[in-house]
Amino acid sequence: MLRYVLSDSGHPTVKMAAPRSWALWSFCGCGWSRAVSGCRLPGLRSSSPRGPLGARLLSQEKEATETHFGFETVSEEEKGGKVYQVFESVAKKYDVMNDMMSLGIHRVWKDLLLWKMRPFPGTQLLDVAGGTGDIAFRFLNYVQAQHQRTQKRQLRAQQNLSWEEIARKYQNEEDSLGGSHVMVCDINKEMLKIGKQKARAQGYKAGLAWILGDAEELPFDDNKFDVYTIAFGIRNVTHIDQALQEAHRVLKPGGRFLCLEFSQVNNPLLSRLYDVYSFQVIPVLGEVIAGDWKSYQYLVESIRQFPSQEEFKEMIEDAGFQKVTYENLTSGIVAIHSGFKLYLR
Amino acid sequence: MATLLRRVLRPLCAFPGGPGPPAGVPFRAVSHGTGLLYPEHIPTSVLQKVLLAAGSAGMALYDPYRHDMVAVLGETTGRRTLKVLRDQMKRDPEGAQILQERPRISLSTLDMGKLRSLPEGSFGRAYLHFLDVNVASGRGMTRVSPDTRAPTRFVDDEELAYVIQRYREIHDMLHTLLGMPTNILGEIVVKWFEAVQTGLPMCVLSALFGPIRLSAQAGGVPRAQDPGSSVFSLLCGPTGAYNC
Repeated sequence: MLRYVLSDSGHPTVKMAAPRSWALWSFCGCGWSRAVSGCRLPGLRSSSPRGPLGARLLSQEKEATETHFGFETVSEEEKGGKVYQVFESVAKKYDVMNDMMSLGIHRVWKDLLLWKMRPFPGTQLLDVAGGTGDIAFRFLNYVQAQHQRTQKRQLRAQQNLSWEEIARKYQNEEDSLGGSHVMVCDINKEMLKIGKQKARAQGYKAGLAWILGDAEELPFDDNKFDVYTIAFGIRNVTHIDQALQEAHRVLKPGGRFLCLEFSQVNNPLLSRLYDVYSFQVIPVLGEVIAGDWKSYQYLVESIRQFPSQEEFKEMIEDAGFQKVTYENLTSGIVAIHSGFKLYLR
Repeated sequence: MATLLRRVLRPLCAFPGGPGPPAGVPFRAVSHGTGLLYPEHIPTSVLQKVLLAAGSAGMALYDPYRHDMVAVLGETTGRRTLKVLRDQMKRDPEGAQILQERPRISLSTLDMGKLRSLPEGSFGRAYLHFLDVNVASGRGMTRVSPDTRAPTRFVDDEELAYVIQRYREIHDMLHTLLGMPTNILGEIVVKWFEAVQTGLPMCVLSALFGPIRLSAQAGGVPRAQDPGSSVFSLLCGPTGAYNC
């Protein structure tokens, strides 16, 4: 079975797909369909088959498994490296391109994610694939504003304080965030670098930490965080189910999982316009503004490869989350999925 | 107007939904090894070429150091002119040989020793001097070398892709010939020359709009319409000897 793939140098080469991989696919019964380039794959899950205890299969069988990189077919090891290169290349212009491609609407989407989250002072947030810090900064702004409001209310309730006591209360407040903290975790050094630069430039210091880590294998202990967010990152993960399991692991019982991601448009007319815009305009924008056609071609293709709202909801439930819901934004161009960890596993 | 719109949109409707790629995805299906005409080829639709041309023109004006934008503008607007140039090359014996052998000019193919051995005042020595000045040191001007030419991506014909690549690679030799440095004024002068000689729309546009970026103190643009040796003979001719 001949397959055209892109080798590491970027040149198209031909690969023979190992016959073992076929047996693996038919055995696993996860609803795999062949990732022939150019075909739309609504049901493709890049999950590796699991044994009875949920353990991963041995690595020798993994080598033959293939997955999608946009509309291309690549091996699973290759995908991680290729995605890394994409984000390394786009990091500097990432924010500019987001504004240009979404005409600034991505800011509203991220604001809506925070409003849905409604964090209170003291919340421990883990923002995975949070590279340039958009969610983290919004979180810090939100809890700071909340904390100030709570403080004001408290002071107003205590009517008989003298001026000196009120002034002392304000001055003694060292922690303007009320104990809230956000860890920004990203696999890509360049994106983290840009995020740190932004934090410095915009004056975010307290309550913020930057960690280099892989969503499929988070460098954190179990039951650590109140909220886990992943905004526009999970579709780039090679094994989405592993990322979801890790999310479940690091959340405290009662913790919330929130995912902001591109999804399927439910309006047929808008869907056509969206496709035309995605495939005709966005790579051109990428070339003109960032000098990088291919990364943005990958971006729009990876959106098409991501499961639909219902399928992703099922994947989240499979990872152990309860009360999983989703909310469509902008007619389904983007969706926020939410789930809760209610039992200790 | 309606027919023009239909012509532009027709490639977009090539896949009317169903199991194939979504609408608006005309060429991606073939760009993974099966439909590429040359290694760096990115197939583009008419609409994409129009958007690229407009965008690259704007960006090149906004940021003159985006040489890749000038290159993209050339690729997306030059199809007809490239055909004319290619036919001219075919009619000339040396040109036809070049189209067949496809020599490339890069630091690895240049024989520096041979260039150094040439007499002072010859074209080869002058070119070597130009490279020494511009490749070795920046000196406030853009560092260039034969290796900084971006590969062709958006030309949908493999031979024409070579013609435009060749045109780019002799650009430095034109600098030498005209004695122009690699600052903005120098580049515009070379573009004027290329515009007159090749007629490529990108050169014409650069020559006409480039001076917008020139300050008043830089003075006017020197005459570049001196016939001298025509550019297409440079495409075809003497450079071949300095490459083997």
